[in-house]
Amino acid sequence: MNKKLKKLIMCTVMVTLCASAFVGCGSKKDTAKTDAKVKDTGTFLANTTFKSDEPLEFNMLYSDAPNYPYQKDWLLFKEITKRTNVTLKLTTSPASDYSQKRSLLISTGDAPLIMPKTYPGQEVPFIASGAILPISDYVSQMPNYMKKVKEWGLEGDLKSLMQKDGKYYVLPGLHEKPVQDYSYIIRTDIFDKYKIKVPTSYDELYEATKTIKAAEPNIIPWTDRYEFQNTLNLAAPTFGAIAGWGYGEGTKYTDSKTDKFVFSPVTSEYKDMLTYFNKLVKEKLLDPQSFTQSEDQAVQKFVNGKSYIISGNSQSITSLTETMNSTIGKDKYKISKILDPAGPKGSVLAGNHLENGIMFSSKAKDNPNFNQMLHFVDWLWYSDEGQELSKWGVEGTTYTKENGVRKLTSDVTFQTLNPTGTKDLRKQYGFSGGVFAYGGSQDLYLSMLSPADVAFQTAVDKTMTILPQAPPVLFSSDEREEANLISKPLTDYVNQMSLKFMVGNQSLDTNWDDYVNQCKTKGSDKLVDMTNKVYQETKSTLNK
Amino acid sequence: MKWVTVILLKDKASKKREGVYCMDIQTRKISNVKHNTVIRESLVAIKKDWQLYSLLFLPIIYYIIFKYGPMYGNIIAFRKFVPGGPAYGVEWVGLKYFNLFIKDPAFWGIFANTLKISVLSLVIGFPFPIIFALLLNELTNMKFKKFIQTVSYLPHFLSMVIVAGMIQQLLEPSGVINAAIKAFGGNAISFLNEPSWFRTIYVSSGIWQGMGWGAILYLASLSGISMELYEAAKIDGANRWKQTIHVTIPGIMPTIIILLILNIGGLATVGFEKVLLLYNPLTYSTADVISTYLYRLGIESNNFSYATAIGLFEAVIGLVLVSSANLISRKYSETSLW
Amino acid sequence: MAKQSRQYKVFQVFNVILLLLIVIITLYPFIYVVSQSFSAEKYIIAGKVNLFPKGFNINTYMVIMKEKYFWVGYKNTVLYTVFGTLISLAMSTLLAYPLSKKRLVGKKLLMPFVIFTMFFNGGLIPNYLLIRNLGMRNTIWSIIIPGAISTYNLIIMKSFFEGIPNELEEAAAVDGSSTYRTLISIILPLSMPIMATMTLFYAVGNWNNWFGPFLYFDSKDQFPVTLYLRNIISGAQQSSVSSGSDADELAQIGATIKSATIVLTVLPILCIYPFIQKYFVTGVMIGSVKG
Repeated sequence: MNKKLKKLIMCTVMVTLCASAFVGCGSKKDTAKTDAKVKDTGTFLANTTFKSDEPLEFNMLYSDAPNYPYQKDWLLFKEITKRTNVTLKLTTSPASDYSQKRSLLISTGDAPLIMPKTYPGQEVPFIASGAILPISDYVSQMPNYMKKVKEWGLEGDLKSLMQKDGKYYVLPGLHEKPVQDYSYIIRTDIFDKYKIKVPTSYDELYEATKTIKAAEPNIIPWTDRYEFQNTLNLAAPTFGAIAGWGYGEGTKYTDSKTDKFVFSPVTSEYKDMLTYFNKLVKEKLLDPQSFTQSEDQAVQKFVNGKSYIISGNSQSITSLTETMNSTIGKDKYKISKILDPAGPKGSVLAGNHLENGIMFSSKAKDNPNFNQMLHFVDWLWYSDEGQELSKWGVEGTTYTKENGVRKLTSDVTFQTLNPTGTKDLRKQYGFSGGVFAYGGSQDLYLSMLSPADVAFQTAVDKTMTILPQAPPVLFSSDEREEANLISKPLTDYVNQMSLKFMVGNQSLDTNWDDYVNQCKTKGSDKLVDMTNKVYQETKSTLNK
Repeated sequence: MKWVTVILLKDKASKKREGVYCMDIQTRKISNVKHNTVIRESLVAIKKDWQLYSLLFLPIIYYIIFKYGPMYGNIIAFRKFVPGGPAYGVEWVGLKYFNLFIKDPAFWGIFANTLKISVLSLVIGFPFPIIFALLLNELTNMKFKKFIQTVSYLPHFLSMVIVAGMIQQLLEPSGVINAAIKAFGGNAISFLNEPSWFRTIYVSSGIWQGMGWGAILYLASLSGISMELYEAAKIDGANRWKQTIHVTIPGIMPTIIILLILNIGGLATVGFEKVLLLYNPLTYSTADVISTYLYRLGIESNNFSYATAIGLFEAVIGLVLVSSANLISRKYSETSLW
Repeated sequence: MAKQSRQYKVFQVFNVILLLLIVIITLYPFIYVVSQSFSAEKYIIAGKVNLFPKGFNINTYMVIMKEKYFWVGYKNTVLYTVFGTLISLAMSTLLAYPLSKKRLVGKKLLMPFVIFTMFFNGGLIPNYLLIRNLGMRNTIWSIIIPGAISTYNLIIMKSFFEGIPNELEEAAAVDGSSTYRTLISIILPLSMPIMATMTLFYAVGNWNNWFGPFLYFDSKDQFPVTLYLRNIISGAQQSSVSSGSDADELAQIGATIKSATIVLTVLPILCIYPFIQKYFVTGVMIGSVKG
């Protein structure tokens, strides 16, 4: 049998080698087949319409969202081609698996030139191989982008995208003012009934729920969704910690004076936050199911009047209203979104001026139309004209503009605007879709909001303090791999324990020290030390 | 020089061959060299039966190109893969990635979870489709039988997201099951937040979802049992129960054994989607399996090397399991994979 | 004797009751989904739709049917399924039949050769590179060839073939029939149950396959309808994981659309089974079975 086994192994190995040689030789047909130089088309000026002399085609990755499915004949694409002479050749991917498709295409060398919907941080794994373009080297070709960065003072924010070589690799979406849409939605009629003032702080929120509970002992007033990640994200900065959606790796920057990073989950501020929520759960003011239940279950309780507080954003108001009009009755209830409550550290927000943006394949710079591509991207995504086109559409067809006030034409509907319209702005025309329409001036952002939302955003702007952004820590890819291998399991542990502390499975009095020690065993000190070390070493690059 | 082939026997009684040699006719001398009859005989057999072997041509090419071709990719378990770089990695790192999970204490707990869940699913879940097929087989009304068959495999087609959603609704503190518990005087249990309940929920929902579909193969097998055997048994005075034991079950035994061996080979891997939808941080201690652990570490999509190393680990275990099961089966029954 | 058959009759009654219970448990979720697809959205959110539709309407179905890509996807799915299943059946039979013959030379090598692939594969990227280098991207071949033979199915098929008594083939050989003819005119007709089962297995596998098209197709014109469905359902599932505007976009898909799409994509494959059932006829085999 030995001989036969040896023969089998040899055969298999030989066969595999032959087959692999055939397979593995990736004939990347499009490596620099043209020795054509990149055309120099002169300067492109801000606030002018980009138009190419000859028809151009650029390959782009498109994230197809199921609620406004991609249509080839959208007016959006027609209009873009009409104004710029550029046709976008799209590689479509369902939105549900967009990042996997993008990762695969880049990893196999098939990355399209333009890859939008890239959140800062998502470009990092691809930098080491040189597959992604360091866009910061080329932004001089993008006047509209540069103009907005300068006007809105975003140079500091851009630093957060910087990598070890001092460059950044994703072209971010820019907001004139940080957008904060999420908060808590309350039954204002119930609050009025029990003469409770709209809470402006977490302490007041506690008192409010207590009052409701006293009046209705069988109700748990607050049941939450998003697995509590939204609430943690909102509450943590007001307690002086980081958690939920904003957790990152758990390393929190102190301030420019002490200038270092600490591990937030073991700080007293973090403990205070957990204590607060645990108190609410203990007194049956906050539903312990909030941390794990599905979206549907949480919403069900709220629309059936079994709870009075839930997380949400402006979209939620619309969808909840639709349902509650029939479950509770049109005039029998009232809901509104309250301003994010203040905590022990005040009314603060971890807001961000930057948002998802565009990543470019490094092959773009070898494309003879490279400069044109940069100008095109600059015009479509960053010029006032381009942004208005993506968001509102074609003047006269989908909207009108009088004295600077924009309105959708009567037959066109979008979310809460023109509910009787028959043509949806996104579905029929492709405008206001997530791939093209994001970021922008405050004026543009507010222009499509309902009056209630405009009031909310203005209040946020007036009363809340935006926390300064933490400086980036410029890890090399090896250092990052090492840091990830500690931080990910550590994050797991922190999540589990935080839940247990809040629900009451673990006691904040007796088990806290154990938890801190466990964190240390799992490498929290090592992570923080590494972070601080790399930060100190690379600080100077940031000031270049 | 004329020669003939002679066969030397090891011993006369067993007629076992010692070897085949050339013997010179005139000198009656036997050469020292053994003929390689194995290859000779094989080539002769193949030539005679060439039609049968020709059938193999396409499938084998298929296997070589599409199944063995990409296997070089496993090399990135030993070489560092950089997204965007070459598919065979950029540099040798040896056992780095293997050490990463072997030395990670969390990993072994998760591995134990994976095994516990799949062994439980197998041990408890395996008999159900068989029993179900047997019960169906006893039905006399054909229309009713067809109806039940069709309905029973419906759950298999419901997407996991829907199934998970329904399980959540069923088990929530204000759901149907807890209402029944409260009616009997008990306290509501938050099933999906209790680590001790996870396996039960996972296995039972698996049985419910897979029983009808799993029975299909057994039903196909049942239809292959000759009526004559039943007739013969009846003549011998066997009632239905005895017929089941002596005719039906032996009739589908090969199918049962093959499926059992195949399923044992799959013990090291547990489906990712179902666990992902049903677990949460409170139940990680029992629910977290290798595939969800990888997913959470965000490693799946970018650190292909680590994922491949774990994949190889699972594959080796699977292979060992299947081979052992096959060996045991070969020894004690007539059926085996190879 | 009479007592035993009475026992048996009692058993039969219990059997029917038990099976009816099973029917209820397995049918209920499907009824639940169908009901939702015919209900008004707001009742579903309120959790009021449990058995029967509330606010009955067929609007959702109308909306879906109007969507061009739903039909394009459907056409693609049917195409991929039909061709994929045919090729898989052919290839699997070509391999399973010889493997079932004891006399096959090299069988001891072939079996491990085949089984090895059940555990080891190259991974996402090498497979993608293979398909790309063969120029199969964006063609139907990338969907139906790589998965042509499922080793799991192959092994099952092989063991079924092994159950066919040799005497039949020997008789045919004596009559001068070639291997090809024996296979086609004798073996296949006798193997209807397993061929029918394999047709079902491969058809369902092909029908549900969204991952291959997701990997290898760039244009929505080639997506099968299951990819369309996945986008709708999974998108909503991930909404709690991501933050930002994406979460809302994906979560806005109504529950009615989800359930209606599920019903529409599952229905056809459900209809195949009754057609296949007629092949599960007892007593087709002549002679005894091993065991």
